[in-house]
Amino acid sequence: MSSTKNSVSYDALVVGAGIAGGEAALNLAVNGFKVLLVEKDLSVGGNMIKLSKVFPTLDCSACITTPKVSEISRHPNITIFTGSEASNIRRVADNHFVANITRQPRYVRVEDCTACQLCEKACPVSVRDQYQFGLIGRKAAYIPFSIASPKAAAIDIENCTLCGACERACPTNCIDFTQEVEHLEMQFKTVILATGFEMFDANRIPRYGFGKYKNVLTSLQMEREIAPTRPFNTILRPSDGKVPDKIAYVLCVGSRDASVGNPICSQICCMYSIKQSQLLMGALPMADVTIYYINIRAFGKGFEDFYQQAKGMGVNFVKGKVGSISETENGNLMLRYEDINEGIVKEEEHDMVILSVGVLPNEGTTSLFSEEQLMLDPYRFVHQTDGLANPSHTSIDGVFVAGTATGPMDIPDAILSAGSASSEAISYLLK
Amino acid sequence: MANINPKFGEKLKEYGAENFNACYNCGTCTAVCSLSTPEDSFPRNMVRCSTLGQDQEIEASLKPWLCYYCGECSLHCPQDANPGELMMSLRRWLTAKYDWTGFSGLLYKSLAVTLISLIVVALGVVGFAYQQNFELESLMHYGHYFEMIAIGSVFAVVLVPNIIRMWYFVIIKPKKKVAFATYFKASGDFFVHMFTQKRSLGCDDNQVRWFEHLILVFGYLALLFTTVFLDWFDSKNLFVIALGYIESIAVFVITADFVNSRLKKQKAVSTHSQPSDWLFVVGLLLMGFTAFLVRLAIDMNMIQSQLWIFIVHLIVLAQWALIVVPFGKWTHFLYRSFAMYFAKLIELSK
Repeated sequence: MSSTKNSVSYDALVVGAGIAGGEAALNLAVNGFKVLLVEKDLSVGGNMIKLSKVFPTLDCSACITTPKVSEISRHPNITIFTGSEASNIRRVADNHFVANITRQPRYVRVEDCTACQLCEKACPVSVRDQYQFGLIGRKAAYIPFSIASPKAAAIDIENCTLCGACERACPTNCIDFTQEVEHLEMQFKTVILATGFEMFDANRIPRYGFGKYKNVLTSLQMEREIAPTRPFNTILRPSDGKVPDKIAYVLCVGSRDASVGNPICSQICCMYSIKQSQLLMGALPMADVTIYYINIRAFGKGFEDFYQQAKGMGVNFVKGKVGSISETENGNLMLRYEDINEGIVKEEEHDMVILSVGVLPNEGTTSLFSEEQLMLDPYRFVHQTDGLANPSHTSIDGVFVAGTATGPMDIPDAILSAGSASSEAISYLLK
Repeated sequence: MANINPKFGEKLKEYGAENFNACYNCGTCTAVCSLSTPEDSFPRNMVRCSTLGQDQEIEASLKPWLCYYCGECSLHCPQDANPGELMMSLRRWLTAKYDWTGFSGLLYKSLAVTLISLIVVALGVVGFAYQQNFELESLMHYGHYFEMIAIGSVFAVVLVPNIIRMWYFVIIKPKKKVAFATYFKASGDFFVHMFTQKRSLGCDDNQVRWFEHLILVFGYLALLFTTVFLDWFDSKNLFVIALGYIESIAVFVITADFVNSRLKKQKAVSTHSQPSDWLFVVGLLLMGFTAFLVRLAIDMNMIQSQLWIFIVHLIVLAQWALIVVPFGKWTHFLYRSFAMYFAKLIELSK
């Protein structure tokens, strides 16, 4: 069952409400343009809102993101559709795009929800929490995460048993199981793609044992463990809840690796691993942290100092990519690697291993368009047709690109790129 | 100080190496290699030496012979630098290096030289048969003598001096001090490795290949013994006749499987076949198969009328004994065994 509303028109469609999409939307809105911001997730904020701190300044990530998110959410020129996807974007005339927007039902009337969490308490279904990268569970009736925007409950209908407990518990009667998928057709003058990236799936390298050995985590899971809104309120390893005291980082998991089809550098893993190591040294002063690397790429402003600072704090840097990981009886992990400086193959035991997973393109971006072909680069990121002079231009006139949709980059670069995309879009709108 | 010699890499490419310059020294290959140990860590070390052109270092190294090419390194190499094939190429290069005649190198590098020498040997055999008026009796007689003389002279003139050269490159030139008594102490290892290749069992998932190889080695050596010393083709002893059949069948069935594996490129070890690899497996296949046919023809009393079978066998035999054994891939049988022996010597002398 579905319904189609009458056509509505905006100046710009921004696809993706991560930090780049949000920034681009805000720039357009501040300049007086009407923006529709479409986000497939239940909250705006993208990846950045889930992070602990940012490198190389160690500023609190949520403290930068949340004011921005709140500004985006409250701006009268911005309409936000969460849980929604754009498709079939096509040009009907110059300065005129039509797109299909699909809004998935949240089964909660957001405007009535007070985020009291009574539905969470009432819901009998527990599943792994995707916003905590599976570290803990959540209910099928849940608020995505504590600083989500909109901060409102949602029903995970895939796992819901339709028992009605949440409905009975809800004091504002905002739960509405009669909601349906909405199909809308909307008009835009320009489009900004801020579809972001996907993290490399560590399951694809079985010799690292992710998914098999409980104490092998990805860097995003560690990011949650050290975030201010962290699930355990301390750092512990999943197998037995022990506080780890010998932690290893494996760099270049799924990046700079042609054997998994991603030969390029992800640009952020060196620095986020160094950042996490510093936070870990702060949180667990007695712990040893070792980073196994091929090359440390500390190319950005303040990065080299940040790297030297980690060394100064006692983080152990070992040149050599880890070849394989095996588990010992007590859940510790044995890492086999070649110490490149000595040319000798070695084994080292750690009680927790973090896989610094790389950045992959968001494969859904090309299928957004139905008539014109959005060109991709050889690594399947959005192709920048004029990468030097107009880095936001795509192969489709009037469609601009921002942030990690174009390739791996850090947060400041993503925001710069959003600035570029939004000003290009404004120039296009005023043309 | 070692000199950098980028041209060395070009030379290795003639021996089948490819793309090893792509290596960015992450050490994944060494870390995933199940045969790599803290004492002997490879293959990255050999890749590095090859890139820098440290041929002296490679020449003195036994590491290429310690690799049994399971292909894990190439599978997981993040740069597609194919370290496994580099190790294979280094074995070819070392084989050429050890060979004092220099003919091995020519065979590895030039398909034309290989083909010409095969044709020359074949023509020689046909010419000899013509000179003997294609008389079966004398052909079989000389054929049998040829085997004995060829084995003796190939060892005396080519293989023994080459082993001595290997010893010189590995032990003497790098000034490794090895006590005289150690040579006897380590000799057990030599025979164990020569006849079992047990080290290759250390490669992951290699049991089937190891078993096939073991049967092939024993089948080949036993067939050699049966034809040369038990005079299989002339024997009236039922046991000897049956033994020869079994051995020849074992040889050509297993080599047929190896050829098949190379054609289908099933495993890493069989994906990159150089002419020298083909010459070895196909030569061995034909040796077993033609020997089988000759004896079958004898037993069916057809050998007089089908003399060509024997002449073909003689051609294969001569090509094998004069080209593949002294200068071709056959030598890996010796060098691998001696490499394990020398490695043990060095280990015991530490």
